[in-house]
Amino acid sequence: MAGGIQRLWRKLAWPWSPASDREASEAIVRNLWLHWFPAKVSGRSLSWSYSLWLGTAAASLFVILTVTGVMLMFFYVPSTERAYGSIKDLEYAVSFGRLLRNQHRWAAEGMVALAFMHMARVFFTGAYRGSRALNWLVGVALLLGTLMLSFTGYLLPWDQLAYWAITVGTNIASQAPLVGPTARYILLGGHFVGQQTLLRFYVLHVFFLPAVVWILVAYHMWRVRKDGGLAAIEPLRALRRAEPREMPRTKSYSLFGLTPGTSVAVASSMGLEESDQVASSPNLTRRMMLVFLTVFNLTLLLSLFINAPLEGPANPSVTPNPAKAPWYFVWLQELVSWTTVHLGSITISGGLLGGILVPGILLAALILWPFLDRSTDAEGVWFAPERKRQNAVFVVITAVIIILIVVGAWLRGPYWHLYWPWSPRPVLPRVL
Amino acid sequence: MAERRDQSLERQDFAWLVLMSLIFFGLVAIGLWREYATAWRPWQREFKLVLAHAGRFQDARKFQPGIRQIWNPELGVVDRCVSCHLGYEWGGILPAALRQPLTPHPNLSFMNRHPFDRFGCTPCHAGQGWATNAHAAHYGGGGWEEPMLSRRLAAGCGVSEAELLQMRCNFCHRRDRSTQGMDAINLAKTLIKKKKCLICHSVEGQGGHSAPDLTYEGDKDPEQFDFSHIAGARTVFNWHVEHFIAAGKVSPKTAMPDYDMPPDQARALALLMLSWRHINYPPQYIPQPQSAPQTAATPAASSNH
Ligand code: HEC
Ligand code: HEC
Ligand code: HEC
Ligand code: HEC
Ligand code: HEM
Repeated sequence: MAGGIQRLWRKLAWPWSPASDREASEAIVRNLWLHWFPAKVSGRSLSWSYSLWLGTAAASLFVILTVTGVMLMFFYVPSTERAYGSIKDLEYAVSFGRLLRNQHRWAAEGMVALAFMHMARVFFTGAYRGSRALNWLVGVALLLGTLMLSFTGYLLPWDQLAYWAITVGTNIASQAPLVGPTARYILLGGHFVGQQTLLRFYVLHVFFLPAVVWILVAYHMWRVRKDGGLAAIEPLRALRRAEPREMPRTKSYSLFGLTPGTSVAVASSMGLEESDQVASSPNLTRRMMLVFLTVFNLTLLLSLFINAPLEGPANPSVTPNPAKAPWYFVWLQELVSWTTVHLGSITISGGLLGGILVPGILLAALILWPFLDRSTDAEGVWFAPERKRQNAVFVVITAVIIILIVVGAWLRGPYWHLYWPWSPRPVLPRVL
Repeated sequence: MAERRDQSLERQDFAWLVLMSLIFFGLVAIGLWREYATAWRPWQREFKLVLAHAGRFQDARKFQPGIRQIWNPELGVVDRCVSCHLGYEWGGILPAALRQPLTPHPNLSFMNRHPFDRFGCTPCHAGQGWATNAHAAHYGGGGWEEPMLSRRLAAGCGVSEAELLQMRCNFCHRRDRSTQGMDAINLAKTLIKKKKCLICHSVEGQGGHSAPDLTYEGDKDPEQFDFSHIAGARTVFNWHVEHFIAAGKVSPKTAMPDYDMPPDQARALALLMLSWRHINYPPQYIPQPQSAPQTAATPAASSNH
């Protein structure tokens, strides 16, 4: 019965099953979209439990964001007069407009979260060492790119939430010594958030940043191949190296011809036995499809039932109480509010410490970590005992950030006072 | 023969792919249904029947379902209220006893001076014109600052809906000395003169300077008022009402006298205060002030902006 369904399914949706290794390899090499995959991948790197496929999930979100984003561009007008109205039109009058907007929004927030979780996975598996250090740096750039994409997109609806989040966010940035105010001036195109800011953020958001992130993603993928595949294969490689050596004779070698060194073609299968590997097509491609479909379904599900926030139109003269940065920056706002000290009439702003020093130090630590890591052979396995101390440091910092985000995003009420989610918050006065 | 490794992978993933595909189709079906099952569709279906019932077969046949809107960029009006409030222009043909939202608009004497196709609905009623479901249109929600001036809101302020609406009439009719259909505001305008408020206060550059300027009093953020001495509802409207009755209680040590006025006068003045806002309507939507002598509260036509 199950076999019958499976055969039917094959007929309907998956008619192709390679008869030989050669056919499988050619399916990869000859396909414009697939040729940057290796012809063969190790079974370990395909496993769910090693990579959790978080990077692929993040990439899936980026594809969704690009497609929905381009569709949104047909409706959105980046002017302070029309921006808010065009979002309202999307919500109430454009066919599937609300779904489109929701999906773009939830995919964007998801991508920030997934890029971070993917980074945590890479960290805990110690997969950033040796030649992979470069890819870690590319990853750091991708994380920053993702954050900046989210941040610039946040302003575009031109509602109160957007306007004040960007105002709060850029005020934190202006705390940087010497360059801060100038940086803010350049970013905003003036001294306050206005039409110039909207236009700048729009261009950054729909053209400049996506282009940069796409190029970086492509390079990121290329690096994964150049580095010989995921670090998951390193323990296996070490094992095989220890065994009596026999040159692996996979068919893909004859396809490309043997080249010395770690050329693209050879690196992926170097040092592994044929039995350690499977053909990328259809095994890798099928699983990528599955990850993409799952991620797509999740964003669709969220978008059908939860609406992206949109408040009243931006109003520079009415500050919402409280005004919050977007959630992925709210931990910085929280830090700033903690480190701001009032001594009588003197206020020492925490902006420098919370807004610049802490994130600066964290960023520097991220960049330098692969070069400071002294552990020897704990690559490609989760929670290697040798890396216990580093992992503990990472966990503590992450936990602190998450706690600050939770406090900032959920527990902060009017006047930036703390409230439990279930305790009543003061009802702010209304007009009528 | 031992199973090939990729066969085991296929077996692992196959069921999930099928499941995810089915979920995908299910979600798309929900999305399509949502797109079709809009809040306005049942009203439009009913309205078609109402038209046929009233003998307007031609109109019933021509009636096409879809979002309807009154669009006037000069006023910034995008009012989709009429997707549901379908009978508004059918006074005299359709019975006034139809249930909301199909009821013809109340036939007020001044309505022909504000044709619907130019004025839409929200300049008088407020609410969220963009919205195509009743809750969002009437209440806004999610930080929308201008909820529709409903009966419920009016009751909360102790005035009638028609009186509450006058607050918005006065956005445009600010410089009229008195306007038909705006009794509460007219009363307030005479009180301003009678009580000599402009000895201390200034409005549009006229009056005294010993008290806050009131030109744009209606724009003041609720959080800028001190509610610590307010007994009733924490609304700006109520702040003004209590302040007009006993300024000294609301703002201790204020120079403003305790007027001790009857509540209806205080409410009328509160409506007037809330109507004094910065309005960006183009001049053709601001009625020409009457040629009657100018008063301080309805100052010069030359400062028309
Ligand atoms: C989705 C359909 C729908 C839309 C859109 C809609 N309404 Fe209504 N409206 C209703 C219904 C149904 C009622 C009667 C039941 C009720 O009061 O909620 C009503 C009632 C009213 C009333 C009388 C309510 C009261 O008791 O005060 C007013 C006034 C009104 N609407 C104005 C508006 C305005 C102005 C808009 C546009 C900003 C609008 N409506 C948009 C469906 C709609
Ligand atoms: C010039 C101002 C003005 C405009 C424009 C206007 N209205 Fe009205 N509307 C009023 C007034 C005044 C009333 C009477 C309120 C009362 O007497 O309770 C009223 C009453 C109503 C009522 C009945 C409310 C109730 O409680 O029964 C509805 C519904 C309504 N209007 C809908 C609309 C819709 C829909 C539009 C747009 C097509 C519109 N109005 C445009 C001024 C206006
Ligand atoms: C968007 C601006 C606007 C709003 C809001 C508005 N009006 Fe008017 N109204 C006008 C204009 C403009 C005219 C003059 C039309 C003309 O000259 O024919 C006018 C004319 C009138 C007239 C006739 C005045 C005369 O001297 O002939 C009356 C009465 C009136 N409005 C009452 C009201 C009432 C009552 C409301 C609130 C329910 C209201 N208006 C809301 C703009 C507005
Ligand atoms: C003797 C001078 C004086 C007179 C007359 C007077 N006021 Fe005031 N008014 C003040 C002062 C001083 C304040 C500021 C302190 C306070 O809130 O009471 C004030 C405050 C107000 C406010 C609140 C302003 C704000 O935004 O805080 C309003 C509204 C107001 N007056 C309206 C009126 C009206 C309407 C009249 C006439 C019926 C009037 N006043 C007569 C002195 C005066
Ligand atoms: C825009 C966000 C990103 C995308 C789309 C992305 C995509 C991917 C993908 C698809 C992989 C293959 C393995 C997997 O699926 O986990 C991968 C691997 C990798 N990524 Fe990312 N990534 C992103 C951000 C980052 C970040 C923030 C870092 C770290 C700072 C990073 C560092 C790495 C490294 C070192 C590898 C190799 C891991 C290994 O060999 O096990 N990436 N990335």
